[in-house]
Amino acid sequence: MKISRRTILLGTTGTIAVSAFPRRGHSQTRAETLRYVTGNTINTLDTTMPGATRESFGLSMNVYDRLFSFGRKKLGDNWVFDAKTIRGELAKGYTVSPDGLKITILLRPDAVWHDGSPVTADDIKWSLDRAVSAKSLAPPQLSTGSLTSPDQFRIVDAHTVEVTLPQADRLALANLCVPYAIMINSKLAKAHATADDPWAQEWMKTNTAASGAYIVESYHAGESLILRRNETWKGSADGKLPDFKRIIIQTVPEAATRANLIERGDADLSIDLAASDLPKMEKAAKVKVVSVPQTNGFTHITVNTQMPPFDNPKVRQAIAAALPYEDMFKAALFGRGFRLYGADWKETPPDGNFPQPMPLKTDFDRAAKLLAEAGLAKGFSTTFAFSAGQSATAEPIAALVKEALGRIGIQVEIQKKPDAEFNTLESDKKLPFYTDGATAWLPATDYYFRLYFTRDQRWNFASWKNTEIEQISAAARFETNAAKYDADCKKMIEVFADQVPLVMLWQPNHDAVMASTVDGYTYQFYRQADFRDLKRT
Amino acid sequence: MLAAIAQRVARRLISSIPALLGVVVITFVLMRVLPGDPAVFFASGPSAGKQEIEDLRHKMGLDQPVPIQLAHYLVDIARGNLGNSLTTGQPVVQDMRRKLPASLELTFTALTIALLLSVPLGVLAALRPGSLIDHAVRMLCTLGVCVPTFVSGLLLIYMFYYVLGWAPDPTARIDIFASTPPDITGFYLIDFALVGDWNGWWAAASQLLLPAFTMALFVLAPLARMTRASMLAVLGSDFIRTARSLGLKQHRIIIAYALRNALLPVLTITGIVFSTMLGANVLVEKVFSWPGVASYALDALLASDYAPVQAFVLLMASIFVMVNVAIDILYGIIDPRVSIE
Repeated sequence: MKISRRTILLGTTGTIAVSAFPRRGHSQTRAETLRYVTGNTINTLDTTMPGATRESFGLSMNVYDRLFSFGRKKLGDNWVFDAKTIRGELAKGYTVSPDGLKITILLRPDAVWHDGSPVTADDIKWSLDRAVSAKSLAPPQLSTGSLTSPDQFRIVDAHTVEVTLPQADRLALANLCVPYAIMINSKLAKAHATADDPWAQEWMKTNTAASGAYIVESYHAGESLILRRNETWKGSADGKLPDFKRIIIQTVPEAATRANLIERGDADLSIDLAASDLPKMEKAAKVKVVSVPQTNGFTHITVNTQMPPFDNPKVRQAIAAALPYEDMFKAALFGRGFRLYGADWKETPPDGNFPQPMPLKTDFDRAAKLLAEAGLAKGFSTTFAFSAGQSATAEPIAALVKEALGRIGIQVEIQKKPDAEFNTLESDKKLPFYTDGATAWLPATDYYFRLYFTRDQRWNFASWKNTEIEQISAAARFETNAAKYDADCKKMIEVFADQVPLVMLWQPNHDAVMASTVDGYTYQFYRQADFRDLKRT
Repeated sequence: MLAAIAQRVARRLISSIPALLGVVVITFVLMRVLPGDPAVFFASGPSAGKQEIEDLRHKMGLDQPVPIQLAHYLVDIARGNLGNSLTTGQPVVQDMRRKLPASLELTFTALTIALLLSVPLGVLAALRPGSLIDHAVRMLCTLGVCVPTFVSGLLLIYMFYYVLGWAPDPTARIDIFASTPPDITGFYLIDFALVGDWNGWWAAASQLLLPAFTMALFVLAPLARMTRASMLAVLGSDFIRTARSLGLKQHRIIIAYALRNALLPVLTITGIVFSTMLGANVLVEKVFSWPGVASYALDALLASDYAPVQAFVLLMASIFVMVNVAIDILYGIIDPRVSIE
């Protein structure tokens, strides 16, 4: 065939004409766009609003900057967040005084808000004040890092802010990395504040005043949200902009539909597919499945330690010895997770990390013996509850618990409760025996113990009261000596292992399914996708 | 004539107010009797303690006695304020304004499809009772009723989207990469037609087709069976025999004489079917990620979010009243002998 100048010209024109009209005619190409489908909704753009969904937290991390951010590290082949390294995000750096009471924060001098105005120390002071004073979910979280009053934040100069602490709190900096500690364009927010609403909380539910990596382009509550990249963003670890120029977040309630979308290549990422679909998808290898144990979470079976007969440690130990751990792990999770049972240590744990595998094993003879020692050789009857929302994993657990405890004479009646009712009963401490899961944002051993095993509050699942734990966890929080801190943590884990207020089962996997071209997915402590880490290869 | 109809409509609407009020009060009380404290649910952040729950309860007015809460609520309704949704963070009125057209558009389309299929099928079955056609229609109807909508919906998605790739991806009202029409009526098909954007119209229509078919399948049975039964009764009556003996054309007898007279019960059923579809299409909305009122209300109910659920029930009751009034008027048009008083 003769190729003439005319043929080439014609061909080129044709190619240009075709490529000028991409399939759906928008400025970014499909390759530069990430379409993320989720079963849940984003219900607010201000994460500190009570009732904010986890998806809202995830969004906020991409739209807002915080002063600091956790690093990330490799766990096997995958990336997970690393709470032990803290880097500046909107801050350029920080120094801590030798006594640990003063943190001097240096801001990035070139950082700007989405509207182009420069980030100043006034904005940061206002944002921190808001986080500790406005009626929202932020103050109780920040108080776990001894950040409680606006008096603690002082403007030094236009780009320096000083934070004063009453005691050297180990978690003060970490608390400035969480989704509640967003940094806000105070001039913009104040323009929308009212006398009743001095912190512009109403306005910020549907508007943003941020500086983060992405800008909200459109927001349809409960349906979809579109983000475009902020070309002036300065907060990344390596100084580069994120790879994706456009992010589409869409609510698709049906898990099967989400799976279809990913497999067909119409969507790029989903993190809440049905666990039963995953092995099949991994095998078919059309898509990429990233499975990481939720390193900051745990699933547990809990008794109310204030209700007889569970107030007797022997009864709790008997139950812990009777549970069929491995069967539950296989039936509920298809083995997709990290076991928190079956460890070989006795009395003293190998290190002070928590959660870590506990020395729990199925041993019916021991269980029967312990129950007899407690004076309940004939057994007793009780109820075992779980919430409907967790039934996919909790239903098999409940059936196996019922069967196993039946063998040592404990009659269990299974109760499946609607989520709202379950939460209320749990919060009111009216459930004698149940299963639930938990994740802590800040994976520090003393924080776990303070949050989950002390005080009369909602997250003390077992309503456990133990003076030793209370004393050690309160002191460990301000312990600056690393060796002493580690010894404290080990001691708490020892007491916990002996008293078994609740039985640790496992850390379920966080499963992210994505197009095979998407790379860099990181498991984050708030269990959502961080679009800033993702790229298309 | 028109004046008489207007008067009748007005009287009907006024007489329905006590019923609506009753519905409002009963829903209000029911929601509060249900176990589950919304404050606990919404303060379920990683660090929410007792104090936060109490504060939230106070902010939501849940610490007051129920009669006082009810009084506040009635005053709000009278002012056109249906409260705020905690699940979406928006005023309920605003949510409803966005979501009701989506549900209505889907329901109207599904009903149209269902009527276009079921009336001819019912007539065919009535013309040859006991024949192969009759049995085929019966089987189709039975299938439509037996297969739950989420199963037929997922099957249709699997077939037409996943395997064949004919349908667009079954998410929401329009392709996420395409632009939405200007917000005129909220009905995408009408809005696109109004601005003359026929590409957009087709995109919205193709997105609508699968969910509408899924719903239509489900309501085929009552409509087709009712058409068949009432056609059978009419076909056996004297005036049809007279018409036949006069040698009138077959299609004229069936359509002009028989069908028109057989339509009254079908119309009644259509009204009921429409109202149930609007409320009961939650499964279809969930499967097709359709942003409609029913799935909105279900999400709210699961989260103990009172305001949207109450508003939804009130809305459904109002629509039920309107549909009944509309059907009454249509009665008069189809059969001038009927005048509902």
